[in-house]
Amino acid sequence: MSSDVTEPKWSLRLPADCSIAAIRSVYDLIREAFGRQDRLEIDCSSVDKADVTSIQLLLSTAKTGEAQGRPVVLTSFSQSLRNTLRRAGFASDAMIDQHFPQKKDGT
Amino acid sequence: MNAMDPTEVFRQEANELFEVLEGALLDLGQRPDDRELVDSAFRALHTIKGSGAMFGFDKVASFTHEFETAFDRVRKGEIKPTQELISVALAAKDYIRALIEDPQSTDDIIGEAILDDLRRFVSSDQPAAPLEAIAEVPPPAPADSKQAGWHLYLEFESHILRNGSNPLDLLEDLCKLGPCFVVPVTDGIPFLDEMEPEDCYLKWDVKLHAACGKDAIDDVFMFVSDEMKLTLSPLEQVEAPAPMPLFQLLDEEPAPETEIPAPVLEAVAAPVAAQPVAKAESKSESKPEPKHEAKPEPKPEAKRDERGIATVRVQAERLDELMDRVGELVIAQARLSQLAASGSDLSIKIIAEEIERLASSLRDTTMGARMVPIGSLFGRFRRLVHDLSRDLSKPVEFVTSGEDTELDKTMIECLADPLVHLIRNAIDHGIEDTATRAANGKTEQGRIELAAVHSGAQVLVTVKDNGGGLNTARIRAKAEEQGLIAAGAVLSDHEIHQFLFHPGFSTAQTISALSGRGVGMDVVKRTIENMRGSIDLTTRPGQGTTVTLRLPLTLAIIEGLLIRVGEGRYIIPLSAVEECVELTAEDERSRGRNFLNVRGNLVPFLRLRQLLTASGSPDKHQKTIIISTGETRVGLVADQIIGNHQTVIKSLSKLHSDVTIFSGATILGDGTAALILDVAQLVTLAQSKVEKQHISEAA
Repeated sequence: MSSDVTEPKWSLRLPADCSIAAIRSVYDLIREAFGRQDRLEIDCSSVDKADVTSIQLLLSTAKTGEAQGRPVVLTSFSQSLRNTLRRAGFASDAMIDQHFPQKKDGT
Repeated sequence: MNAMDPTEVFRQEANELFEVLEGALLDLGQRPDDRELVDSAFRALHTIKGSGAMFGFDKVASFTHEFETAFDRVRKGEIKPTQELISVALAAKDYIRALIEDPQSTDDIIGEAILDDLRRFVSSDQPAAPLEAIAEVPPPAPADSKQAGWHLYLEFESHILRNGSNPLDLLEDLCKLGPCFVVPVTDGIPFLDEMEPEDCYLKWDVKLHAACGKDAIDDVFMFVSDEMKLTLSPLEQVEAPAPMPLFQLLDEEPAPETEIPAPVLEAVAAPVAAQPVAKAESKSESKPEPKHEAKPEPKPEAKRDERGIATVRVQAERLDELMDRVGELVIAQARLSQLAASGSDLSIKIIAEEIERLASSLRDTTMGARMVPIGSLFGRFRRLVHDLSRDLSKPVEFVTSGEDTELDKTMIECLADPLVHLIRNAIDHGIEDTATRAANGKTEQGRIELAAVHSGAQVLVTVKDNGGGLNTARIRAKAEEQGLIAAGAVLSDHEIHQFLFHPGFSTAQTISALSGRGVGMDVVKRTIENMRGSIDLTTRPGQGTTVTLRLPLTLAIIEGLLIRVGEGRYIIPLSAVEECVELTAEDERSRGRNFLNVRGNLVPFLRLRQLLTASGSPDKHQKTIIISTGETRVGLVADQIIGNHQTVIKSLSKLHSDVTIFSGATILGDGTAALILDVAQLVTLAQSKVEKQHISEAA
């Protein structure tokens, strides 16, 4: 990511359930936050249910932020989210870093 | 909320799987080389086995396992599915069904006998026909070949996650076959605004370093193969060591250049092109492996059934209950509208209109939820035709069309028995034996076509055979013999054919197990008419017979046109109405002709006052409602057109069952009743009167 990720202005904590059962509401949350803020920090520390839909939503958020020049930073990946990422083939921290813009001190 | 018994859920699911299994087996009889059919049958068997074990149907699980094992040679393409084998497989399917539905009625000896038959057929050394699909994919890798494994590209249908399938579980299963290098392909991820969060956008590029066969990989994706694109190509043996397992990869030192697959670069480059690629960048000049796009597809794209997306299983009786409630709501809403119209309170009128709109929308949604594709019914008859064809030694091709045509679920249930009768009759009486067909210059194989098509607010279901056609002279002779008509009475062919629907009427010279007792066609007619439908027969000597069933889309609520004739009010189904015109003075003068000139076209009309024997004097400006029924356009002359009316259909009492021109009644907003006109019957009645008049004039 080429975005400036140092000064996020607004933080959104993802709920515990980010699986397909609840992904629609998480999607709405992120879109709403996007509509209100120029910079967005997403705290992933509480996520304990994740699946393909969660990964896709985070990828899309990053992609949208990148395209619109509005920095998106993901912080504090929970172990559950990391496990899901690994199962999906994001097999290392390096690979995760490449796809998901993270604030290093927060992970 | 009364939760469904899990065992009942299994039974219902098993029934659906039996339909799939039976369909696949019957199709295999026609297309023995179709690999997809074998896979489909196996998927159904596999699910029955798994679910059976889960729900405690141990006998089912064990028998199905034996069935699978015995049938495995077919799956491997080692033997061809012959008609005999298909018949035994169908018997095995019936046995499993019995084990689930009525285990007490089954006997282990029967099950063993079926399995013995199955084993005997599959152990015979008949040559295997090459299966189509096998020819299109690389052959399974022998253990000693130079092949190092498989390169897979996985692309799932967008709805796959909604079905409960989890690609990550599948990837995990794949990794159990051997060391796997999984790379997610993210270029399909859309922007937030374009995203459906429950859809699947990720794809995967996988290198599986295992000398397993293609079958092992197919097994992993067995349950989703219809909902994904799997591109498979063999990996060539390389000298370098196999890549590390998934979870270690990239956490360690970079692998040698030649090991780096192109998809890694695709994966990381797509979403984060602007960012330097840490570990993969150094490998960007590595020679990419031939891309998967260059490889042929492993199999033709499977048929995709989109109907199953995000479905919820609901008990049928709950839908009925919901429909009843909606019916009551519609009646209450009509009363409210009437009250609001008679008062002067504007706010009440606005609320009444809003509730009318909501009730209408709720009615449509509820009715939509009750609609079921007729294909679910058609599938059942394939077995019937297969078995009859075998028992009567009459080769019959069974062709269906319009399976996606939707009908109210109640209609589908009621339609099953009449169609069984019609198809049995068509094969037993319609289709000639092979010798007769050959003598008449016909193909040995007869043909039965079962079709469904929408026609306005009706669905036409036709059963057509290419047999000998009806013998009108014999029907007439039989009718005279039974005293149904006087000898020498003048009757049209159409009228003579109607005797087939008379109770106890049969022209069959012998009574078989299937037909000939004269029981059936009258029941068929009564059932169809009870559904507010009609039945029609057309026949051409030597060429066959077509039976057409005209059915309304639903039995519950219709949009109607409320009219007044004399003092009575009646409903005409709005779907049958084409337009309304005023009866001009010129038309009025045309008494005796009864034809309207509608923009240059002559349209016959019926005076409802006469047909319904209305009292009082007619209105000065009478209105004509032009309706269409089948191919016919007819005008119905009424005193007044009151307007649209959401009509909750209430059945008439048995006392009125003989009054064919009314299909039911409804309750109006003021609490009074209005009769619903059955326009098809009305027109038939009028045509019959005219026909009789012509015949008597000619005589």
